[in-house]
Amino acid sequence: MTRFIDLVLNGISLGSVYALIALGFVIVFKATEVVNFAQGSMLVLGGYVTTRAHDHMPFVPALLVGIAATAITALIIERVLIRNARGADVNALAILTIGIDILLITELTRRFGSDVLTIGDPWGNKLVHLGNLSLPQARLAAITVAVVLLTGFFAAFKYSSWGVAMRAGAEDNEAAALMGIRRGRVTATAWMVAGLLAAVAVVFLTAFPSPGLDTGAREIALRAFPAAILGGLDSTGGAVVGGLAIGLAEAMTAGYSVTFLGGSLADVIPYLVMLVILLVRPSGIFGTRELSRV
Amino acid sequence: MTAGAPAQLKPASDVPTLVVDSVSVAFAGIKALSDVSFTVVPGSIHAIIGPNGAGKSTAFNVLSGIYRATSGAVRFGDDNLLGLRPHRIARLGVARAFQNIALSKGQTVAENLMLGRHALTRSGFLTSGLRLPSATREALVHGARIREIADFVGLGDKLAKPAGMLSYGDQKRVEVARALACEPRLLLLDEPVAGMNAEESTYMAALIAEVRRELGISILLVEHDMGLVMGISDRVTVLDFGRLIAEGTPAEVQDDPNVVRAYLGTGEDDNGERGR
Amino acid sequence: MSSALTARLRRVRVGTACRIILVLILAVLPLYLDNALLQTGLFSMAAVVGAIGLTILTGAAGQLSLAHAFFLAVGAYSYSYYAGVKDPSGASKAHGLGMPPVLAMILAVATAGVVGLLFSPIAGRLRGIYLGVASLSLVFIGSFIYENARGLTGGFNGRPATEFDLFGFHFGQDNPPLTVLNVVFGRFERLWYLFLALAVLAYIFGVNVLRGRMGRAMQTMRDSEVAAATMGVDIRRTKAGVFALSSMYAGLAGVMVALAFTRVTPDYFILPLSISYLAMVVIGGLGSVGGAALGAVFVTALPTLLSRYSGSLPFVAEPASGGYDAGKISAALFGVAIVFIVIFEPGGLSALGTRITRRFRRSKTEGPATEPKRAMPRSGTVTRTQEDPV
Repeated sequence: MTRFIDLVLNGISLGSVYALIALGFVIVFKATEVVNFAQGSMLVLGGYVTTRAHDHMPFVPALLVGIAATAITALIIERVLIRNARGADVNALAILTIGIDILLITELTRRFGSDVLTIGDPWGNKLVHLGNLSLPQARLAAITVAVVLLTGFFAAFKYSSWGVAMRAGAEDNEAAALMGIRRGRVTATAWMVAGLLAAVAVVFLTAFPSPGLDTGAREIALRAFPAAILGGLDSTGGAVVGGLAIGLAEAMTAGYSVTFLGGSLADVIPYLVMLVILLVRPSGIFGTRELSRV
Repeated sequence: MTAGAPAQLKPASDVPTLVVDSVSVAFAGIKALSDVSFTVVPGSIHAIIGPNGAGKSTAFNVLSGIYRATSGAVRFGDDNLLGLRPHRIARLGVARAFQNIALSKGQTVAENLMLGRHALTRSGFLTSGLRLPSATREALVHGARIREIADFVGLGDKLAKPAGMLSYGDQKRVEVARALACEPRLLLLDEPVAGMNAEESTYMAALIAEVRRELGISILLVEHDMGLVMGISDRVTVLDFGRLIAEGTPAEVQDDPNVVRAYLGTGEDDNGERGR
Repeated sequence: MSSALTARLRRVRVGTACRIILVLILAVLPLYLDNALLQTGLFSMAAVVGAIGLTILTGAAGQLSLAHAFFLAVGAYSYSYYAGVKDPSGASKAHGLGMPPVLAMILAVATAGVVGLLFSPIAGRLRGIYLGVASLSLVFIGSFIYENARGLTGGFNGRPATEFDLFGFHFGQDNPPLTVLNVVFGRFERLWYLFLALAVLAYIFGVNVLRGRMGRAMQTMRDSEVAAATMGVDIRRTKAGVFALSSMYAGLAGVMVALAFTRVTPDYFILPLSISYLAMVVIGGLGSVGGAALGAVFVTALPTLLSRYSGSLPFVAEPASGGYDAGKISAALFGVAIVFIVIFEPGGLSALGTRITRRFRRSKTEGPATEPKRAMPRSGTVTRTQEDPV
């Protein structure tokens, strides 16, 4: 039983990180119809800047620098590239972000060399003991931070003018324009929020017990894609549910050593879950279904 | 038809009746069509009119299988169209010309028209890829027919042009020609003259009349242009807010108090000059 | 009309003549190139085949796929499984069926097609972008299988790929010996002609498919699913069919890679490979078969050429020096090319080529040159407004 609870906590912690990244995918998709394949390298970028800044300052300011750098990069991508590709279709925009991803990751790989960086988070390898359970502090911190950020996000989404615009804009661009909502500001904010989420998520992706930060974090970020798709690419709530589901599934398969052909299924479980869900519901669990059927 | 029309041009004998029987459609609880019924007699031109948002396009989307009706039935001869996917409906001989031009703009007019032959041809990946004799023969036979249809709508000299390079009026005619290329028994025309100038509009009206005369097929028409509707239709169905409010000959409908109220109520300004 | 027709015919003939000359040049190249360049050529021709498959799927049919690396792997592994035998030393657990290589090649391509069809419940129902993300999963699930299904794949170290032979003529060794114009025809020269033949066939087949009935159907489907369906195109079947066809192209490319490498190893068939294929077809111009071939050669050959001549190119750093080495320069170039093309020239190299040739003979003719421009679909008013409920 202890083991089960341990795994559940583990899964929730991992899932909340996935949820943050998946939410980044969804916000950007809702605002600009872009499936952002560059999210993975933005994550690595955030981690890299935070680590480098940490050489000169304490962790929290360093993280703020990392967040700022990632958000600004996202903003530049949106302003300079995405905006100029207006009129390109969804596929072309996705391909555009793949191009951006290649550029970012090439430069980051050059900077990383073969290093594995430690991001310098304050939790280190410390554990928390709760009865029989002992959990890495970083895991609890991940859950706490995710809850705070998600609450903040959904509050903003519901009450702020940006959130109202996001929701209206996603439903009807023309109506939003009539309401005097400035699309430009809405989409720019969406990209910056996605950057912020990526920069925070990377801290927990690379914190103990993970070995540290290298460019491989980009592929871990891709595992949040199934989370976003599973919930439905245009559903913010779905991203959170999807993230948690993927995190739990992964923690359970890893914890109970579920194997297939002798390999641990935990490596591919997010993708298997995604395929199964898509078989049943081609637009995810909470995604908007197409009116037309052809 | 300008040239001597082949025999297959007159399938008039097997044009079935279209019966729309109390069809309702709802989106997220909002009724877009409620209990709409009408009948299209074989070989007739039947118009659906109504103010914006009356449900005309929804009706078309149900007929061509794009939307699923919540209840009701649509019978075309012995077949029930409801529940069939669009390509099955197309194969039963229901073709549609779109209001917003839905051509492949990068493909030539000929290629766009050949798409209309899709259900009538067989070539798959292998036969086209290897250019087997059957594919070549098919291309020849159907290519000839495409030229006839293009001549018929007056586009014979534009077959090799990319569809996107034609004028708006010509593109609308390609739409109609593509639908004709399906050898339909029922032709759905979604606002065929919307956005056209007077000259193009007159040409289109004559074309529609000629299609009926030459082919003897049924034509169901959604149109805002009252001049066109009243001039060529045999019967008119009037929708408002998803309901059928009147039906009859053009003369009957014009004098119907419900119709007058519906049109006056929403203003006289939607005469088909919207969009584009 | 008739003068336009002759002009058109002449244009087609010019295009065909250019292509024939190109193939002839490629046919004499082995007499002049060294083995390293021949090897690069082999990989380029394999990539040409794979890229044509992807441009049909993503360019012509508008279905984004990141699963291309997976289907290359299916082709490569199935070939080496069908043609291979169990390692007598027991070093590898992989076994095989010992079939003749020609049969193994055909079956490997068929296997890739069947696996592609198995994916059709997903490939047939998802719209472009959802398919893009869903197809990502095949790459990762694939990696899992290559490393764990050791009996088939040989696991982490992979398995050898049986050399190809055709009616006793061996492509992997000097048997029977062959010398042409004083050049000994070894493995690389022999494989060169095999690959050239396969690439030319794949090209012709691809062009014919796109010009044929299914090609028209898929391009209309890309521009408007509603319009295509209303004209009688079975969307699900078409999507599933195109996906399977593209998988078969990838499968053949996989077999070619296996033959060029002589080994099949799991570390090759990873996400970056899928992304390179996407880069090839975007750079070449989505939906253009010729463009895909150009893009494939560019993306495949550039890194090797850069590193080969790095000594005389001052801007190329040594590998692992922390600077921009050949690999990183090419990656960055591909990234820039993709971004540039999506924003400024959605038709890619092929549209650029068309535009230049048109400028040269502007006075002569109007209309598109030999190949109609198949640009990346712009989201028109068409799809969107049509799906408004009212």
